Amino acid sequence: MIKIERRDETSNLIYFLTPVLAIFLTLVTGAIIFYLLGFKPLEALKFFFITPISDLYGLSELLVKATPLCLIAIGLSFCFKSNNWNIGAEGQLTFGGIVGGGVALLFYNHEGFYVLPLIILAGAIGGMVFAMIPAILKIYFNTNEILVSLMLVYVSKLLLDYLVVGPWSNPEGFNFPETRQFNDSARLPVLFEGLRIHAGIFIALVSVFLAWIVLFKTYLGFQIKVSGLSLKTAKYAGFKGKTMILLVFMVSGACAGLAGVGEITGPIGQLHRMISPEYGFTAIIVAFLGRLNPIGIVFASLIVALTYLGAETAQIFLQVPKYTGQVFQGMILFFLLASDFLLFFRIKFLGFKKYEY
Amino acid sequence: MNTKLKVSKVSKIYPGCIANNNVSLDFESGKIYALLGENGAGKSTLVKILSGVINPDEGQIFLNDKLLKLNSPKDAKNNNIGMVFQHFNLFETLSVFENLSIDSEKNNYQLRILVNNILKKYNFKIDLDVPILNLSAGQKQKVEIVRCLIRNPKVLIMDEPTSVLTEQETEDLFLSLKKFSREGILIIYITHKLKEVLSLCDEVAVMRKGKVVSISRTVDEELSSLANKMIGENLNKIKKITSNNLSGEQILRVSKLNFNSEDPYEVNLVDINFTLNKGECLGIAGISGNGQNELFQILSGETLSNNGSIKFRNKEISKLNPKERREYLMAFSPEDRISQAAVPSLKIYENVALNNFKTSNFFEKGLFNEKKIKDHSKKILSNFSVNTDNVNLKSQFLSGGNLQKLILGRELITSPELLICFNPTWGLDVGAINYIHQTLVKINEQGKSIILISTDNDELLQLSDRISVINKGKLSKIMSADEVNPEKLGLLMGGGLVD
Repeated sequence: MIKIERRDETSNLIYFLTPVLAIFLTLVTGAIIFYLLGFKPLEALKFFFITPISDLYGLSELLVKATPLCLIAIGLSFCFKSNNWNIGAEGQLTFGGIVGGGVALLFYNHEGFYVLPLIILAGAIGGMVFAMIPAILKIYFNTNEILVSLMLVYVSKLLLDYLVVGPWSNPEGFNFPETRQFNDSARLPVLFEGLRIHAGIFIALVSVFLAWIVLFKTYLGFQIKVSGLSLKTAKYAGFKGKTMILLVFMVSGACAGLAGVGEITGPIGQLHRMISPEYGFTAIIVAFLGRLNPIGIVFASLIVALTYLGAETAQIFLQVPKYTGQVFQGMILFFLLASDFLLFFRIKFLGFKKYEY
Repeated sequence: MNTKLKVSKVSKIYPGCIANNNVSLDFESGKIYALLGENGAGKSTLVKILSGVINPDEGQIFLNDKLLKLNSPKDAKNNNIGMVFQHFNLFETLSVFENLSIDSEKNNYQLRILVNNILKKYNFKIDLDVPILNLSAGQKQKVEIVRCLIRNPKVLIMDEPTSVLTEQETEDLFLSLKKFSREGILIIYITHKLKEVLSLCDEVAVMRKGKVVSISRTVDEELSSLANKMIGENLNKIKKITSNNLSGEQILRVSKLNFNSEDPYEVNLVDINFTLNKGECLGIAGISGNGQNELFQILSGETLSNNGSIKFRNKEISKLNPKERREYLMAFSPEDRISQAAVPSLKIYENVALNNFKTSNFFEKGLFNEKKIKDHSKKILSNFSVNTDNVNLKSQFLSGGNLQKLILGRELITSPELLICFNPTWGLDVGAINYIHQTLVKINEQGKSIILISTDNDELLQLSDRISVINKGKLSKIMSADEVNPEKLGLLMGGGLVD
């Protein structure tokens, strides 16, 4: 007999254990899928999750991928915590990349310490401004921010497409859809010779710290929390609801913009069509897997980054498509949402009745 | 046929609390039984056991000497036990008839004939094809009752049915219940309202802390004796002495206030004008849904009026938000204390921090000053007799009375000049009501003013200096409390006129 009971109170332990459970279930299901595909399940999982990070280069790659995911998810947590559903981080990332890249191209012939900060600032502002569009439309016209922010993703992607093919394309680039390689003074410094890990990780870590302070220790964070739990109460308390919508979108957009500019000035070094393997969408999973908590997001971004790497090694060693990575990301979110059931209910195993006597 | 329901030695134990302690009761059809008790006395647990929602740890239920196994609400239905809960279980967007047909085995044609017969027989005026959301609370309740009647119930249990009803609707309900009783349906009426017990029921069982403490005939009881049994202490009756020391100094002036809502389910306010003096309590009576909600929100600043002016201590405040109005020493206690005045999943001290004044320094230099907020919260808990001193407790674990004390405490601890409260004692037990009424009287005595929007006429007559009635978004003329009586109020509330 199994009995399902409503919990009186959700404990903090279970709140952070359910993501672990979700990851475990993802691994089990992944093993089953690999088995059905004709691979040895444990070996396949090893290729997927262990091989990629078994050397220094792999670890550096993990951090390279985790950096943008973490940054974007931090920004998204501001939105999601206050019940604003910004689904368009990918667009804000792209637009931040466009603005930052534009500045980089503008200063193509300049060398100086001021170039890189200027580019990064421009990227953050670009993402921020792009995120203000759904916020302002929501405030003044009551539009649905999910739809608007999502549709703007395609606007920015097509804009990038146009720029790299047309006006910004490399004059010596044989019509490849890409810009010039940025000047060295427009690149984030690499931390270790021979590895791709770059200074962008510090931007991510600083924003984790700032986000933690703001969300848990300030009046603004308190207002965000209350608005997320009950808009009615926020209104009654007299919080400025409209200002807050704008603010959380700006934070979120700025973070996504930073991630975008971090990619183009970091590992990529130029603008082309594919500046992000959908980091903006994947970061939604990261944000929820990390429970919208800055510290949780750090761990979640590492785990999800691993699925990107694992997909690449699996592609090489197992000859499966790299989209396997997305399958794993999807499964993590699926199991996370399913195991949230345990937050509110507990399952009791009562044993079999007939053995009782 | 006679119906006998016997509850025999029923106990239900929850961790840390004995909800039902060896409860035995006998019911017989032809009478209306009251089950009286404060919030938390164990009435709801017993009702849930009778309706199959929970299983008792010990004890049995017999219907006509037959042992009942009630493992689910379905079992209760199949044994002809009908139940009308305090909160309606209706689909708002479906029509009345669709709601009735959901759990009926009859085909639609038969069901419609049956329902129409029931409606005709009891003179219920409900259009079967309008969506539930267009109905008043009283009509919704009738739909719930009809849903029970379809199944020819032998037992009908009503759980605090009048908490959402107006006086007229309550009278209608009582007439219907008496009719059902004459037709042989056994009626168990759960309430904490003493007057209703006396006017409706034949026998009354009083519960306190999970035990049945008294079973008696209502003709042998009176208000004070029942109240004493229910709370186990002598109530000191509050009677507000209409203050003679009113200075006549005006504190609030509302003039030519209009509000046109975009939401079709909200009430428009038409030309609201009134003034309020220092130390005065202005009562605003009315049947719920006549604009009280909108008036409260406009006075608190949650919504802004289209035009008109609100002057508080000679400052125009009609464009300010609630936080800014609080800075001018206004305080607000909304009707929905559970999900508006506080957030259930937040801790007590966090709920206290919702009122963040410039002077309170809860957030020094923008940072959360936890110690300061906690000290402030502790002061509220002890000054306003909240039944805990643990500021880390989530407010969802406070009973209704304690939550309301916390909210009033949070609003009042900064000694505001004006308190605007909306149904402050809604759904509370006698002890808590008493405490809150005393608090309201006290702040009047300290020269502070109150606007009391309430659907409880006794409360209004007890506490107000002057009373006005709101009907369809319009305020009646303001009368001195001495010249008002329940009849006059009832007439105005129904849209009538008095000279």
